Amino acid sequence: MSQNYLKVKGLSKKFGNVVALNNFSLEVARGELVTLLGPSGCGKTTALRLVAGLERQDSGTIFLESRDLTLIPAHHRNMGMVFQAYSLFPNLTVAENVAFGLQMRKVDRSARIKKAHELLDLVGLDSQSARFPHQLSGGQQQRVALARALAFEPEILLLDEPLSALDAQVRSNLREEIRRLQLSLGTTTLFVTHDQEEAMSISDRVGVMNEGRLEQIDTPDDLYNHPKNVFIANFVGLMNQVSGTKTGKSVSVFGANLKVKNEVVTDGRVLVYIRPEFVELECTESDADAKVISRLFLGSVSQVICQLNDGTIVHSLLSSRMSAEFAPGIRVKIRVNEDEVLVSNG
Amino acid sequence: MALQTSKRFSTWIGGFLLVVPSIAAVTVFVYGMIVWTIKISMTDRISASVKEPKFVGFQNYTNLLSDTRFTHAFENLVKFTFVFIVGTTIAGFIMALLLEKGIKGEGFFRSFYLYPLAISFIAMGTVWNWLLNSNVDADAGGLNLLLQKVGLGFLQNSWYLSENGAAYALALPAIWQMAGYVLALFLAGFRGIPDDLREAARVDGASEAKIYRYVLFPQLTPTLFTVLIILGHVSMKVFDLIIGINGKSYVTQVVAVYMWESTFDQRNYAKGTAIAVVLLLLIALIIIPYLRWVIKQENENR
Amino acid sequence: MTAELLEKKPNPIANKRKRSGKEQFWLIFRYTSLTFIWFLIVMPIYVLVVNSLKGVKDVYLVNAFDLPKSLDFSAWPISWSGGDYFSAFSLGESMTRTLFFVVQSSLISAIIGSINGYVFAKWKFPGSNIVFTLFLFGMFIPYQAVMIPLVQLVTNMGVNKSIYVLVMAHVIYGIPICTLIFRNYYASIPDELIEAGLVDKASRIRIYRSIILPLSLPAFVVVLIWQFTSAWNDFLFAIFLTGGSPKLSVATTTLNFITGSSNQVFYGLNMTASLIVSLPTLVVYIFLGRYFLRGLLSGSLKG
Repeated sequence: MSQNYLKVKGLSKKFGNVVALNNFSLEVARGELVTLLGPSGCGKTTALRLVAGLERQDSGTIFLESRDLTLIPAHHRNMGMVFQAYSLFPNLTVAENVAFGLQMRKVDRSARIKKAHELLDLVGLDSQSARFPHQLSGGQQQRVALARALAFEPEILLLDEPLSALDAQVRSNLREEIRRLQLSLGTTTLFVTHDQEEAMSISDRVGVMNEGRLEQIDTPDDLYNHPKNVFIANFVGLMNQVSGTKTGKSVSVFGANLKVKNEVVTDGRVLVYIRPEFVELECTESDADAKVISRLFLGSVSQVICQLNDGTIVHSLLSSRMSAEFAPGIRVKIRVNEDEVLVSNG
Repeated sequence: MALQTSKRFSTWIGGFLLVVPSIAAVTVFVYGMIVWTIKISMTDRISASVKEPKFVGFQNYTNLLSDTRFTHAFENLVKFTFVFIVGTTIAGFIMALLLEKGIKGEGFFRSFYLYPLAISFIAMGTVWNWLLNSNVDADAGGLNLLLQKVGLGFLQNSWYLSENGAAYALALPAIWQMAGYVLALFLAGFRGIPDDLREAARVDGASEAKIYRYVLFPQLTPTLFTVLIILGHVSMKVFDLIIGINGKSYVTQVVAVYMWESTFDQRNYAKGTAIAVVLLLLIALIIIPYLRWVIKQENENR
Repeated sequence: MTAELLEKKPNPIANKRKRSGKEQFWLIFRYTSLTFIWFLIVMPIYVLVVNSLKGVKDVYLVNAFDLPKSLDFSAWPISWSGGDYFSAFSLGESMTRTLFFVVQSSLISAIIGSINGYVFAKWKFPGSNIVFTLFLFGMFIPYQAVMIPLVQLVTNMGVNKSIYVLVMAHVIYGIPICTLIFRNYYASIPDELIEAGLVDKASRIRIYRSIILPLSLPAFVVVLIWQFTSAWNDFLFAIFLTGGSPKLSVATTTLNFITGSSNQVFYGLNMTASLIVSLPTLVVYIFLGRYFLRGLLSGSLKG
């Protein structure tokens, strides 16, 4: 995939004295769905709004192929956008909402009505086309908003936490639907969310943001398995932090010597990062590392929560069949089923 | 959600007892007095000397129809109402439009635009009496003088002393006083529209002008409705303003002023009450549907 | 609440440091228009102020807009006391009297409004919504429609020259709006707060005293200011119910000042008197304008 359809370079934005976005760069390939993920206040929404043209950057450039969008106002950018909620025009019917962008582009009436029905059909709401937004459920409203954003065939689709106001069940359905539509229409999409499950499940690539910077952008797999730094490791997925002792390129933890992935850390006591699925447990009477506090049954897998002698909590993800024996109070020995780990001075 | 009205007598009786005095006061002094007014309006108590008034049915009302002073006052009221409503709505709307996006110094402008609402019509009567003075050219003062100074001398006129324009002229101070109210209503209307809607329209390709035309203005229709109703009923009641500027003079009499004159100068209670009932009906005609609309909306929002 | 919305401003799209030419133009246009309107609005008050500083006799129509040649406050004490010019009316006297009755009626109105508002919002009885609607209608009626029986009533009772008639009138006819303001304010207090109290076995009265009342200050300020301003500026009740006695209330006194009882009209005194009677409401407005606005918007039922 050539990654130069949307090119954002060196965007910075301050609100008063608060730096919202700091030298943010991003390239998105045609047809790709890229998600910006991060805690609230990390600048992901600002980045999206700058791309949409709803805010003006202090510095930096935005290109779509060879077109310079940097100074183009929002209404000439030809981007579709779905907001968190409340963004349907209450005075227009569902069909009129969807046709709004086409009306602004002076598409004639019959053509835009036809297109509106086509899109409403795509999101499964053509039967509601004559209704008004307040007569729809939250999930339906967001579907309409999606149809509206896609109606004028935008070059980029921007999604600003479109699912965050919805119930869990509706959220996961709509999430899959967004992905299905995006793939079938081939619309290049920039998606913003604070929900990592959402981000990981539907994206081609996920960019994790922190304090106005893009920390790492990779496929969901790489992000999870090869986090570039401790922030990513902690932010994406569940991560155990246990103390170990580092000497040179190896670290000793739970009696094993593991390779250190990141080498900038000084020797001595360090924090070692281990995913729960790499923590294996074994019942023991004598040389126990920890005691089981509780076991959460999650279906095919279970999460066993243990407490080390120094008080640290360690999570282990085991298949449910294997973990039945780890009842609360059982003393266990811990084995790390991984060769290379991230460490930090902590 | 409101607390459920409890079916059990013991739980609501306390609350009911607390408002009984108010219910009694409103029943007697609002509804009771209205009934009494209607009763007087159907008697022949046309002067203080009638000690035992007799029932005459709608006589006093039919008399009003042929009373040229009443029809004159009514005509004045219609003229005044028209200019007042149109002028105040436009003025207030423009003010709201200029302020709605937020501008440095908004608080300053807004407080000045709203302060006329806090001042009594009677107190402003003196000034407006001056400003609307009919002298022109060399003798001019007030607005005529101001018009000369800005080179619009040809617009000078005799304001509330003119034969046909008197009622229109008096709408001017009323607009001055009430425009702030309309500003406040429209400004609140604008600000009640979520930002997301403007932004959604913007990314959908609407220019600023089109955002107003297609997204913001249509949503202010309920506000406009409220504005028209409120101004309408204020206008029908207009009294102090007219008295303050021009007293009871025939040329600027409106219904409320004529009612006062009939009651106090002529001691014709029958006529006074009949006029009052006509006024009440006019206002009820616009206020009752409005109340129903507001209550329906409130119930929908729960 | 509508009044709060006024404080919420939309996101400005433009970055303040860089404005395009078009945005620059509209900004200048807006400021120019706002300033022009500002002059129109201030103009009548300007005329009041400058002409109250020109003494008693130097005030003519043709120089209405001119600044005083030298500051002359001599019209102020004369307007206040009536002096030789208006020996019959003392503005000072009727202002003091009016202030006394206006403060009383506002306080009583606020207390009644608070109790009613609590019942209509949180302690409903069967039919309370209908009763409330009937109250609301009482807010909009033209008072002319109750005035003549009311005049007959107070005349028969022989109290038509008493200031307490005005207190009563403002309290009674203020019930609807005061109830409305408090009811809307209390409706925004979560029901859970009341329910928590009920679960704790507090009585409804107890809940009002120890939960609702302490939260009510803003609504009290709104109602007090509203009732103060409307009673102070009231002319209709004053002229009907005081049997034309010009001295009783400030509005009637002012009117007599303006129309003048002597042959000669002293504009300087008129202007000064108008300014003086406007000062109390103006002061309230300057310091508590936000609350005044809330009362105002409640009157549209949209507050």
